[in-house]
Amino acid sequence: MSEPGAGTTDGTGPTAAVETNTADLDVTNSDLAVHLDGITKRFPGVVANDDVDLRVERGTVHALLGENGAGKTTLMNVLYGLYQPDEGRVVVDGEERTFDSPRDAIDAGIGMIHQHFMLVDPMTVAENIALGNEPTKWFGMAVDRDRIDREIRDLCDRYGFEVDPDATVEDVSVGVQQRVEILKALFRGADVLILDEPTAVLTPQEVEGLYDVLEELTDQGKTIIFITHKLEEATHAADAITVLRDGVSVGTVDPDRTDREALAERMVGREVILEADSDPVETGDTVLSTRDVTVEDDRGVEVVSGIDLDVRAGEILGIAGVDGNGQAELIEAITGLRIPDEGTIDYAGDDITAWSRRRRIENGMAYIPEDRQERGLVMPFDLVENGVLGSQRSGRFASGGRIDWAGVRDHAEEIIETYDVRPPDATAAARSFSGGNQQKFIAGREFERDPSLVVATHPTRGVDIGSTEFIHDRLLELRREGVAVLLVSSKLDEIRSLSDRLAVMYEGEFIDVTDPDAVTEEELGLRMAGQRPDGEADRHPNPGESR
Amino acid sequence: MAVTRGPTTEVTPMRNAIHRARTSLEQRPLAAAVGGVAVFLLVLWTTPASWQTSTLRFAVPIALAAIGGIFAEKSGVINIGIEGLLIVSAFSAIVVVDWLGDGGATAGLPNLWWGMLIGVLVSVLFALLFAVVCLEFEADQIIAGLAVWLISLGLAPFISRILFDSPNTVNITRFENVTVPVLSEIPLVGYLLFDTEPQVYLMLAGAVAGWYLLSRTTFGRWVVASGENPKALDTAGVDVRKVRYAAVLLSGVFAGLGGAGFGLGTLGTFAGTGDTVINGRGFIAIATYLLANYHPIGALLGSFLFAGLNSMQDVLQAAGYAIPTELIRTIPHMTVIVVLVFVGRTRLPDAAGDHYESGDD
Amino acid sequence: MRDRLESIAERLARASVVDRIVISLAALVTAVLIGGVLVFVSGAFASCRTGLEMGGATFCYNPMQVYYELFLGALGHPLEGGWTLTNYSLATTLQRTTLLIFSGLSVAVAFRAGLLNIGTQGQLVVGGLATAVTVVYASAVVPARIVLPLGVVVPAGVIGTVVLIPLGVLAGALAGGVYGAVPGALKAYADANEVITTIMLNIIAVGITSTLLSWQFQDPNSTNPQTAPVPEYAEIPTLPVVGFGGRMNFSLLALAFAVALMVGIAWLFARTSFGYELRTSGIQPGAAAYGGVDEKRMTVASMTLSGALGGIGGAFWVLMVHGRWLENVPSLGFDGIAVSVLAGNSPIGVGAAAFLFGIFDSGGNSIGTATDVPPELVGILTGLIILFVAMPEFFRMLGRRYVTVDSARPARTDGGDAGADDGGDADA
Repeated sequence: MSEPGAGTTDGTGPTAAVETNTADLDVTNSDLAVHLDGITKRFPGVVANDDVDLRVERGTVHALLGENGAGKTTLMNVLYGLYQPDEGRVVVDGEERTFDSPRDAIDAGIGMIHQHFMLVDPMTVAENIALGNEPTKWFGMAVDRDRIDREIRDLCDRYGFEVDPDATVEDVSVGVQQRVEILKALFRGADVLILDEPTAVLTPQEVEGLYDVLEELTDQGKTIIFITHKLEEATHAADAITVLRDGVSVGTVDPDRTDREALAERMVGREVILEADSDPVETGDTVLSTRDVTVEDDRGVEVVSGIDLDVRAGEILGIAGVDGNGQAELIEAITGLRIPDEGTIDYAGDDITAWSRRRRIENGMAYIPEDRQERGLVMPFDLVENGVLGSQRSGRFASGGRIDWAGVRDHAEEIIETYDVRPPDATAAARSFSGGNQQKFIAGREFERDPSLVVATHPTRGVDIGSTEFIHDRLLELRREGVAVLLVSSKLDEIRSLSDRLAVMYEGEFIDVTDPDAVTEEELGLRMAGQRPDGEADRHPNPGESR
Repeated sequence: MAVTRGPTTEVTPMRNAIHRARTSLEQRPLAAAVGGVAVFLLVLWTTPASWQTSTLRFAVPIALAAIGGIFAEKSGVINIGIEGLLIVSAFSAIVVVDWLGDGGATAGLPNLWWGMLIGVLVSVLFALLFAVVCLEFEADQIIAGLAVWLISLGLAPFISRILFDSPNTVNITRFENVTVPVLSEIPLVGYLLFDTEPQVYLMLAGAVAGWYLLSRTTFGRWVVASGENPKALDTAGVDVRKVRYAAVLLSGVFAGLGGAGFGLGTLGTFAGTGDTVINGRGFIAIATYLLANYHPIGALLGSFLFAGLNSMQDVLQAAGYAIPTELIRTIPHMTVIVVLVFVGRTRLPDAAGDHYESGDD
Repeated sequence: MRDRLESIAERLARASVVDRIVISLAALVTAVLIGGVLVFVSGAFASCRTGLEMGGATFCYNPMQVYYELFLGALGHPLEGGWTLTNYSLATTLQRTTLLIFSGLSVAVAFRAGLLNIGTQGQLVVGGLATAVTVVYASAVVPARIVLPLGVVVPAGVIGTVVLIPLGVLAGALAGGVYGAVPGALKAYADANEVITTIMLNIIAVGITSTLLSWQFQDPNSTNPQTAPVPEYAEIPTLPVVGFGGRMNFSLLALAFAVALMVGIAWLFARTSFGYELRTSGIQPGAAAYGGVDEKRMTVASMTLSGALGGIGGAFWVLMVHGRWLENVPSLGFDGIAVSVLAGNSPIGVGAAAFLFGIFDSGGNSIGTATDVPPELVGILTGLIILFVAMPEFFRMLGRRYVTVDSARPARTDGGDAGADDGGDADA
């Protein structure tokens, strides 16, 4: 995606290299809504924020840019009163403040929209918006519901939102939930809104809608702090960008006078190459094929509706889509964690629809699950014990019901070495490893099963750049060796660069199956929002037929 | 506790019917109320009066304990020690009455009411202990609840032996009926609802109060939020810990009213051998609120089911059926299992059983 | 957020072995201290002729004396003259230890699978009755004596012992296993909460067994609710010379069997595929399903195993203690919960915890005879111990306040021992 390097990296310090390409913004003398001055926040063993300065001008969108773990969220939690800084001052509206709890921050006019929405799912939109701030009547004996409804209607009118106050939160779309979060902050009289990775769960079109909302808000004098790790968003939406790296602020820049590559280097601290190679490869027989698979979720709602797909040996089939459109349930049906309500699943020539999960594992199906901490690893077990998960009854590690622990230990140590899991300690509990190292261990365990099919869901979510590259390389290597790969990801760049064919899933159906190079990111975004490609609306999409 | 997939079993059709009925009742409270009244009158018309009064009285500990349990569990603290709260409140209420003098009055208040007061207080103290253990020291709620039960199970007969030289207390004179003039003359329901013992009035009032508190007040909303998504409540500036303390203490108040009311109004004495005279009613209360899907009025109606089965023993025996007593006595307990099977997994509050630490990411 | 993933079993397993032992001991000491205060204070309300006069009240009970009776009385007062090792009190202590090992293992097995089996009591009651009835009826068909070739005559007693005891234990295990499988199946296939169903099944077990007793199995020669006695040769034999006498109702052979079972369960957890799957299910059901474990079957299997262990406890209660089944079954099953919780659900720990509660049971008798303090004190202590074991954070906080070294524990020791403790990687 991005042009490598812009040719400025000469091996000297990363900050030195970028100094010339960006224009640092001077906001010292402006009207500041928020001023964080020399904030330091330490956790046991980590300095999350080290002497960070942040100056946010009133009525602007200010982006806080940095990689995962750069300390962006910690800094904002300090501003929101969830953490108390070890050093430094918090100045709001020119007045120094100490926030002991979010309540104090709310009272000072600060609102936060967290990455994971802080909404109570079974309660209504109105109940959520008013939560903690309910106006009462009858001397506090009852919640004044009419007044809440009235105030919400006023807010919606002023900012042009369309939200049904009586809808239950779990029934409305993610985009609407985000509006509810924003309304919640406005209901409390927030003048400064902090948005933590607000686009992570949105389709490209919903992202556009969010930009409009932000503009409307700043027009009316609100101040926005926008946390993101995506360069495009920061340059597109923000009036000023402050970059954080490893807990240190590496400067504030004007997006209009800064080129993206330089910004990327400033953020990552080195040259960035995001492109993974995927030359076309000879494909072999069909390894996995599903016909008319329909799956219901835990609540009995049909979330996968008649999916047909084929994956051949030596190809990667990618499934793109906004989270929650049935990808998780489809994958669970394929891997044996959920029973499909209709349809058949064939694997290497056998109808495996009724097979147990264990039988699928034994027949060479490897699976990198979406949730590594709940499924992929047993967190209190050490890596030795985790190394045998899924193979605990296979002839390789067990005989006569007994597990050969010496053999398992050797196996785990082999994975640790080959996949560069750090620290290389097989007797450490899985939970003591970082997310990237946990993922490398899972990938290693699954890839070393000698699989004929690899199912990988969000294999690089929350994983650092180095481990991401490594996992991508291994996936491509397996594909060259003739393994069939089914890849689910909501990262567009990842899925476009790795996949040989790309299916887009929307509300339980495939909208389109295509060559990833034949569509633009915008087209892909439209499909993820449910729009079928022109002229093909009638065709029943089937990746098995599309070649 | 566990991640489970939505199971499809043989009982699913039956279960779906129950769920649909429950949802539609919740969505149409007026229709539900009218229908409920109709069914209620029909039952009153067709069943013996002695069974009705006895059912109402046996429902007291179950209904009030269930309403208390609803508050605790809705706030995210599973209070399985409610059985223990019933034991200590029933026992201490009777001891206080005996100590102050059976049938007398102290400081202008009849001793029975002093017993009630102290019984509730003791229950709240035990609930406080449980709350501290769970909220301050992050104890596992289920195990701490079991401990509260086991401690009560030992403490009541222990003290009883010291005071009365027996695991059973002495007998005291129970509450007498309070008759509401005029209203008690209403056919079918008058004698039942308006000519009865004080603890029954408390139960009926408690159910309405519990419903109002949970569904109409700010506190009720905070309780629900604290159990479903404590982080959302925390970031909204409400102290989750305080909400949970209040909810658990409230469960102590309700269970205390239930236990003390049962002891003073129905039992008149406390038998402390084996499972004590409470005999699992606290656990039945838990099944009751699961059946009622955490609705206080529903819990009241559910308690009638179990209490009705309980008083059926006497009716059956009086009718001369040759069913062994021991087996009849377990009918309510068997019903609990059947109910759990048909109701299936009630959707627990999302954060029930989890410790919550502010600022914990 | 992480907390949501943690099941109860994991929380208890999280602490390292040393951590856990320290917490268990601290819980024990704290419970004993609070129990002592309770005893002392309640003495003011009791009536007695002599006692400690203080502030106008007479405190009848001396906690030191109570605990002297509790702990040393259970061993037969070793500090007093005329003490022999094989005394009656110690026999009672070890008898209870034996039985509590069975019920403690029963609870521990379910616990490690993530299930709270409160129903060991009911499984023990049902298993015990099955044992008694089976042995009583089977003894009627065992021939009086068998003449082997070469003219060797084997007396019926030996045959009876060799045949009837295993048969009785098997019957107990089967009945207990079936009675444990019921809540397991209800949990697996109908999502019924096992805590509630097992508590209900305990009460139902009392009803069923008592009904069966009066219907069919009542000893016609007795007015007490009990079955006919099993033949003497079908009781667990005592060891000659080294063992305790036959009238003490305790057999070292039974204790040896219990210990063997304990080691067997520890081995099952650490070394077998089944044990690995059981532990995984208990800690993280999602990961177990991912690893190919059939959750439902595992739920039923672990509850069956748990129930069978409870049933074996019932069998030994019948065959070793009374020689018959009595309606009034002691609360061995409930105490099993305390044993398992105190042991951190570790099978080997169950042995030590069972010995402690064996002392409590036997010492409770000494308290009853030597003092006026109600023996229900033991029940309160049990509850307190469970309460304190359930709140390790309390002791960690105390530890952090007074032992500064503890506060800087690196993150990894916290869970790093989970595997080592289970023997998962201990090959030696």
